[in-house]
Amino acid sequence: MDKETLFREISHALVEFEVEKVAELAEQTLLQNIPAFETITEGLVTGMKEVSRLFEEEEYFLPEVLMCSDAFNAGLEVVNPHLDKASLEKPIKMVIGVVEGDTHDIGKNLVGILSGASGFEVYDLGRDVPLDRFIEKAEEVESDMICMSTLMTTTMDGMKTVIDRLIERNIRDKYKVLIGGGPISQTFCDKIGADLYANDASSAVRKAKELMGRV
Amino acid sequence: MNEKERLLNVLKGDRVDRPPVICPGGMMSACVTEISDQVGGGHHTSSKAMVSAARKINELIGFENYGVPFCLTSEVEALGACVNLGDNLIEPRITRYNDKSLEVIMETYSPNEVTPVRMGIVLEAIRELRNSRVPVIGNISGHISTATSVVDPLEMFKLLRRDPERAARFMAFINDYLIRYALKMVKAGADVISISDPTATGEILGPRNFQKFAVPYYQNIIKALHQEGIPVILHICGNASNIVAALNEVEANAVSFDSIVNMKTAREKVKTGLMGNVSTQLLHTGEREKILSIIRNALHSEVDIVAPACGLSMATSVSNLKAMTDYVKEGYYK
Repeated sequence: MDKETLFREISHALVEFEVEKVAELAEQTLLQNIPAFETITEGLVTGMKEVSRLFEEEEYFLPEVLMCSDAFNAGLEVVNPHLDKASLEKPIKMVIGVVEGDTHDIGKNLVGILSGASGFEVYDLGRDVPLDRFIEKAEEVESDMICMSTLMTTTMDGMKTVIDRLIERNIRDKYKVLIGGGPISQTFCDKIGADLYANDASSAVRKAKELMGRV
Repeated sequence: MNEKERLLNVLKGDRVDRPPVICPGGMMSACVTEISDQVGGGHHTSSKAMVSAARKINELIGFENYGVPFCLTSEVEALGACVNLGDNLIEPRITRYNDKSLEVIMETYSPNEVTPVRMGIVLEAIRELRNSRVPVIGNISGHISTATSVVDPLEMFKLLRRDPERAARFMAFINDYLIRYALKMVKAGADVISISDPTATGEILGPRNFQKFAVPYYQNIIKALHQEGIPVILHICGNASNIVAALNEVEANAVSFDSIVNMKTAREKVKTGLMGNVSTQLLHTGEREKILSIIRNALHSEVDIVAPACGLSMATSVSNLKAMTDYVKEGYYK
């Protein structure tokens, strides 16, 4: 199989969430001495882009996206050890979590998965995350973005608290703040002074990339 | 026409003088902080406090039902997940999933045993609340939400695709457990069973998975309850537009939707009763006039039962909720 066919097969198997097949095809790329970087960008990432599209068009839903993400990771695991790190663009770092008081994390997980598959370096703090933890972690890893999610009206004000504390510490400009979740809206985003609101996981990733000047 | 007759008639599809205004309980709990403070807490763990809270919601807020419990965690806890019961400000929530394999879980928790831990307390409260004037609603979590609360939801969602037969076996086990629990509630005196399945939203599952992993199970539990002559309300969270048609197949007596669902459109498609869908965000933070105007919209869309659209924030004021019930009882019809 030539390189292009192999990449197409990888993308296809990934979209069809054939986890083992993606791993096998990734092994084949190594046997043929295809650079890992190319396999990732032209096979695996291309597949995940298609998955994002299917998700946005409501052809795929959470169960399918999760399976595809497993397939993506299976392929990545095979080729990653052979990756020439010098060929990489500096990844966008993102600290993500569900704000304190809320445990609904399905949306947050989806954003984390799709971001990871798009080359972001994701630091997932989980759910019910103490507000200061977002800032501490962002400072620690020198993150580019702070992403917060909540499904509840009671906890959404926690997002404002995080932004206010960034301002207090004079580090607001160091981070782009991305927010989302059931009760969140563009109006709320403007009101609390966040940088970006997205209403689904797929557009969150796209908008985050645009905001960071990567298209 | 008293509150019980009105709700039961509406669920049968009979004519009533006006739509009832209810808050079923379960994930749609009106045991907000003000009520919980008056009860003195303990409404998740003692049948006495549970009964007291249910009565106060009816008397002080004016919702035309008694509904218990005030969470969706008692059945999940009984199946081996860990729950933090919360306090006067925060509702109970799952803190750790059961990490055993599905087969071990199915073997361990005999489907016959549906009274452990807090489930017994709920049954006791229903026995105490039964009466001829106010309808008693027993609340259970739907099988999708239960399954994805007992074990890690992401693993469960993947299993729907990776090993559909195994997923189906687990769903059937959960549903069977819930059916037995619901029937115990009926025996204890519940007039209506309300099933809330927030995780079964079309936004998460999509229409194909919903048709395969949700519809047949709802049909089973609803059939079992109808055999006892008990009407069923089914609540689905989030944007349910892509599954509205499928919901007609389950033959619930009423379906309830989140505020994002346009009730005029839903009314055209839903063949059964329609319940909803007063925005809980507005009830929490909105002004009185705005709240009344969306209730007016719901009534104009011909909802059969007026109710909150989703789970209420515990910080919601009793006065906002009272404005809602007063308006349905008096304002609109005078």
